[in-house]
Amino acid sequence: MTTFGRRRFLGLSGAALAAALGVAGCTRTSQKEAATAAGGDVIRWWDHFQPLQPLNERIFAEYGRAHPGVRVEHEVYNPNEMGQALQLAFKSNQIADVHSIAGMGTSEAALVADGWFSPLAGQDAIRANLPADSLLEGLHVFDGKLHTFPLFSSRQYATLNWFNRELVEKAGGDPDKGPATWDAFRSLAARITKAGGGRAYGWIQGLQFHERLQTHVTELAMSAGAPLAMAGASGMGLVDPKTGEYAYASDPFVHALEFLLSLVRDKVVFPASTSLDARTARARWATGVAGMFFDGSWNVGVVNGQFKQFIDKVGVGSIPSPEGEPVLYGAPAPGQLFVSSQSEHVEVASDLLARLTSPEYHKGLATFMDQVPLDLDAVATADVHPTYKRAVELFGQTVRLAPSPVARNSAVAQVLSEMKQPRPTLGEITQGILSGEVTDIRKALREHTGKLTAERERATRVVSGKGVKVSLDDWKFANWQPGEDYTAKMYQAS
Amino acid sequence: MNIVTREGAVTVSGPAVPARRRRLATRIWSERWAYVFLLPTLLLFGLYTVWPIISSLFYSMLDWNGLGAERSFVGLANYREALADPLFWKSLGITLVIIAVTVPVRVGLGLLVALVLNNPRLPLAKLFRTALFVPVVTTTAIIGVVMGFIFDPAGGPVNQLLLDLGIVDQPVDFLGDPGSSLWTVMGVHMWKWLGITLVYWLAALQTIPATVYEAARTDGAGGWASLRYVTLPMLKPFLLIIVLLTAIETMQIFDLVLTMTNGGPYFSTLTSEVYIYQQAFASSTPRLGYGAALGVLFGLVTLAFTAIQAIGIRYANRARSTS
Repeated sequence: MTTFGRRRFLGLSGAALAAALGVAGCTRTSQKEAATAAGGDVIRWWDHFQPLQPLNERIFAEYGRAHPGVRVEHEVYNPNEMGQALQLAFKSNQIADVHSIAGMGTSEAALVADGWFSPLAGQDAIRANLPADSLLEGLHVFDGKLHTFPLFSSRQYATLNWFNRELVEKAGGDPDKGPATWDAFRSLAARITKAGGGRAYGWIQGLQFHERLQTHVTELAMSAGAPLAMAGASGMGLVDPKTGEYAYASDPFVHALEFLLSLVRDKVVFPASTSLDARTARARWATGVAGMFFDGSWNVGVVNGQFKQFIDKVGVGSIPSPEGEPVLYGAPAPGQLFVSSQSEHVEVASDLLARLTSPEYHKGLATFMDQVPLDLDAVATADVHPTYKRAVELFGQTVRLAPSPVARNSAVAQVLSEMKQPRPTLGEITQGILSGEVTDIRKALREHTGKLTAERERATRVVSGKGVKVSLDDWKFANWQPGEDYTAKMYQAS
Repeated sequence: MNIVTREGAVTVSGPAVPARRRRLATRIWSERWAYVFLLPTLLLFGLYTVWPIISSLFYSMLDWNGLGAERSFVGLANYREALADPLFWKSLGITLVIIAVTVPVRVGLGLLVALVLNNPRLPLAKLFRTALFVPVVTTTAIIGVVMGFIFDPAGGPVNQLLLDLGIVDQPVDFLGDPGSSLWTVMGVHMWKWLGITLVYWLAALQTIPATVYEAARTDGAGGWASLRYVTLPMLKPFLLIIVLLTAIETMQIFDLVLTMTNGGPYFSTLTSEVYIYQQAFASSTPRLGYGAALGVLFGLVTLAFTAIQAIGIRYANRARSTS
């Protein structure tokens, strides 16, 4: 009989521990290696473009057929959660080879400075497929090297009024156009709520997703006349182009917030909205519990993909505005996808990305009805839902190109990356106003503006202290005209 | 030099320090297996507790977003900013409110239920104990998500019940209204963790010898008198420990809050841990250095509770030995 003594037990335990530590230590490397060994190059790709999932996966499959051994592992994130996932993955050296930057808030320049991305390989081929004026230093190009490129048009916004045609019609509204003014919106929302008898409400929104809420407030303020120059995705880059000052304490922002608050006071907001984000709000809206829902052009793409039974009830109208004739400003289109600096497959990933600049891909973009593609002609010829075509028409009628301080002086991006976001943000203030916690709207906005102004001054001092040529004057555009496109030529003249 | 023990016997000759070292070495060698078995724990404790504390102290003195290589040493600036940050104080206040409200309820209710379930004549006592302990072992994140549906103002079962019974005429937005969200989170927290407090009390009740009850009965004590003059006095030393254990647990309410409300609406459920997490990782412009400073400050608060706990344990031990 074999004896199992203390020494033998300890010896076996030690060996097991060593083996376990060895396995644990190898895990991260072996995940990548095993994937590579199993099927050649594996490109990990994370984005948040849900309606585009079939299109992108078709492109990946085609690429895999043309390049045997290359396989793409694709993951589509909820934009509300993607920023956290990216930060954790980057820190643990497990980020995807190609990824979008939804939810990060940080400027592209800051991420480039922090070493997040690799310049794209095969830059000339990618540049050749894109309009020359679509690539800007500080936004897509850094130190002369192309890091990303826009897939989507600047002429769009995220506060289209999507509505349930059936509920709107039942409440006496226009099921083809929807309400044009704030008053009409409010009145229709009240009628839908009344007709719903507790089963349907006038308006639903993902009020928990405060970054998106901030976008809606900003766009409603623009529809009320707020002029905005735009640098970066966060609210730290939005200023009045004439003065270069933050405009959050101006009347249009106050009025936009009062408009949203009036909906709460009228009790026309779907009750669970405060606990919803954009996706869950859309999913609820598609069940017929609310009449109207603010979202971008991609809404119909998601409905078409996930809630097909609801697609015939979908209608779309312009962002409501005080007078019914909104003018909005769109920032120069940013890049959507980047190749990670941690990627071991920069060439393959760049080659794959280059496929997204082809006319076929842009036609596909239109077909799957996500954000409006850079190539607007693609929409005209694509087989899309009428509401998507209508959305693109509305964008064409209402959106003007905004001046961008970053496009004028790319060093402004360094100021943005130095700035720390003051809290509460505009989105959080909006949550506070709608929940009744913030009662003095103008005071809250004035304080927010004051904090942003002080923070921008500090950041500018820090950056210019490093010998970089940047000043607050970079945010002023004396030759900007309200309601007009700010063209590339105007940057040179300013 | 000779070393003389307290008893006066000369035991070791030669220089004092090497002899002491030799003695220590001999003791370590003689207990070597104990140290070998302690090694993995010490290693893991060092890696996952001591090292993060040291790292946090270091990070707390950096201006660093945690994303890139660029970081600058700012000394105590993050601490100064934290002490002037209204949201930090608000989050600490909310954490303390949660402790002040939930700990007495959990401890009091836990004791009450433990007294009932400790009765050997109670039928199905084990079933009730298990039922109360099930939420403890259920994943908090899942509870958080499920509670979102349960308290949903649009068709959630709680609102449906309230409407059907005519208690309310409009659905209550339990998690979306700043006036009710904190209370709702606290209610769920108490329900989830009552089982663990119950187990503490049941364990404490087992320490009371049956002979004491027999003696009390012999002296003519009924149920109420036994409770008042035997059970409660003998449980008294445990009270402080259970209160402090419960309070320290409650400070770590992170996962429930994150999944139920994410600190909202408008900061109404923003606990310290959630705020630290938001600053360090979940903000659109993350600030790891600042988050680390907030973490160190919150750690000091926890440490204060732990110190009180240590004093409490000493008091409890002394009280037990005198009783």
